[in-house]
Amino acid sequence: LRPHSRPRHPGARTMLPLLLLLLATAHGLEKIGYKPALASSDLGGLTTASTFTLEQPRCVFKELPEDAVIWLVVATDRATVNFNTSVKPGTPESAFQQFPTHVPAYMTLNTTILNYPCPKTPGGITVLRVGSETSCAGDETRPTCNGPLPGPGPYRVKFLALADSKPSVETDWSEPITLRSAQPSGSIAAMGSRHSAGMIALTSILSILFAILLAGLVAMLVWGSDACSGSGSFNKPEAVTVRRYNTHHAYDQPAARL
Amino acid sequence: MAKISDGMRILQGLLVFGNVIIGMCGIALTAECIFFVSDPHGLYPLLEATENDDIYAAAWIGIFVGFALFALSILGIVGVIKSNRTLLMVYIILMLITYAFEMASCITAATHQDFLTPNLFLKQMLERYNKSDTDNNNDKWMTEGVTKTWNKLMLQNQCCGVRGPSDWQEYTSAFRVTHNDADFPWPRNCCVMDAQGSPVNLDGCKLGVPGYYNSNGCYDAISGPMNTHAWGVAWFGFAILCWTFCVLLGTMFYWSRI
Repeated sequence: LRPHSRPRHPGARTMLPLLLLLLATAHGLEKIGYKPALASSDLGGLTTASTFTLEQPRCVFKELPEDAVIWLVVATDRATVNFNTSVKPGTPESAFQQFPTHVPAYMTLNTTILNYPCPKTPGGITVLRVGSETSCAGDETRPTCNGPLPGPGPYRVKFLALADSKPSVETDWSEPITLRSAQPSGSIAAMGSRHSAGMIALTSILSILFAILLAGLVAMLVWGSDACSGSGSFNKPEAVTVRRYNTHHAYDQPAARL
Repeated sequence: MAKISDGMRILQGLLVFGNVIIGMCGIALTAECIFFVSDPHGLYPLLEATENDDIYAAAWIGIFVGFALFALSILGIVGVIKSNRTLLMVYIILMLITYAFEMASCITAATHQDFLTPNLFLKQMLERYNKSDTDNNNDKWMTEGVTKTWNKLMLQNQCCGVRGPSDWQEYTSAFRVTHNDADFPWPRNCCVMDAQGSPVNLDGCKLGVPGYYNSNGCYDAISGPMNTHAWGVAWFGFAILCWTFCVLLGTMFYWSRI
């Protein structure tokens, strides 16, 4: 059987992926299955309101020429489909200052493979903090600024390596990264403390004791002052002077007084 | 020679003993309240800014009440030994007045201890720390007090925020208005400082690397001294008042018998 007598359909189906592969390799863009991820969650500032921290892509790019530049592409979650890998960094089409209103993604944090050595050196913290440069955030002459992100996102990132200004290797898009949003401080309910049991006990006991004392005072005044002293209680008698007027050699005899 | 029954002698002895204890407790109360009023932990500006510093008022009353108790106990001892009705009447009336004041102090201290919750200090810290636009002199004074106190607290106790550094991320604050999130996810004083007072590793602090920033909250450092203060005033005063109650009842009974 000769190949020409076979039907065309199976041939057309195998042709298309072959064609795409040819196109891709002709473009020179290789896709590797690495998803950029947030760094370890031990970090207290892993995500803040305008920054987030990624793991460095160590031992990810293999066989990359030393002068290739690896860029980080940051896009809004919905705009990842619109991203065109042939966008050039450092132009208004990929400028941080135009993000997210005019451009779907921006490119920043350019470096060479030398800064991501493999294997990873043990110890030390190797992360990429996205959003740390505040000085150039409004500077249009610095389109590759790693400026603070304008909103809570969600954002997706990928790495794109350019060799001779042509896209060479790209990674997958990361999972959507949502930043923290702050609640207004006025919403904190500062009041609403219930009275504790201890306070209620203290107040009631003291009030009762005070009431008893006042009652005792009243009782003391009303009944105590005219109560005769009990037998044997210490008495301070009134000074009683008995005077006898005797014209002849008599003298006053004050009664026994203690 | 007048005879005093044994029962009355015992009562005299008990009353003298009771008054001695009251005198000593009065001095102890004065000393304790002077200690609290002197604010050794420097937390008074925080209370002042809540505009409800009744715990301090309770301590001030405690100083004078303690003194009065000491003086009155001496009067009581003299009155009991001399069995002088007038002296004892004066003693009882003045003691009741002192009792009322001390009752007020205890109840105030116990009630306001319930008022001091973490949310109260959180809201105050967020709204006042590093606040830049103050309305009037009073506001400015309170803001400066809160800012200085928090700076000192965070440095000395190696802590950050009320529950932790995430307080600064979860809520908007006056601090956030003047300090952007990328450079200052939390105040500088949350960083671990070296001997010269500058952060050991500023990037590590901003990232939230454990060991370069203070990850625990300051609430324990605040509530510990304040709770001791409130408990000291409220419950020691309560104990003194219970004892004074017994002594006063005994004195009233004694007065009615002499």
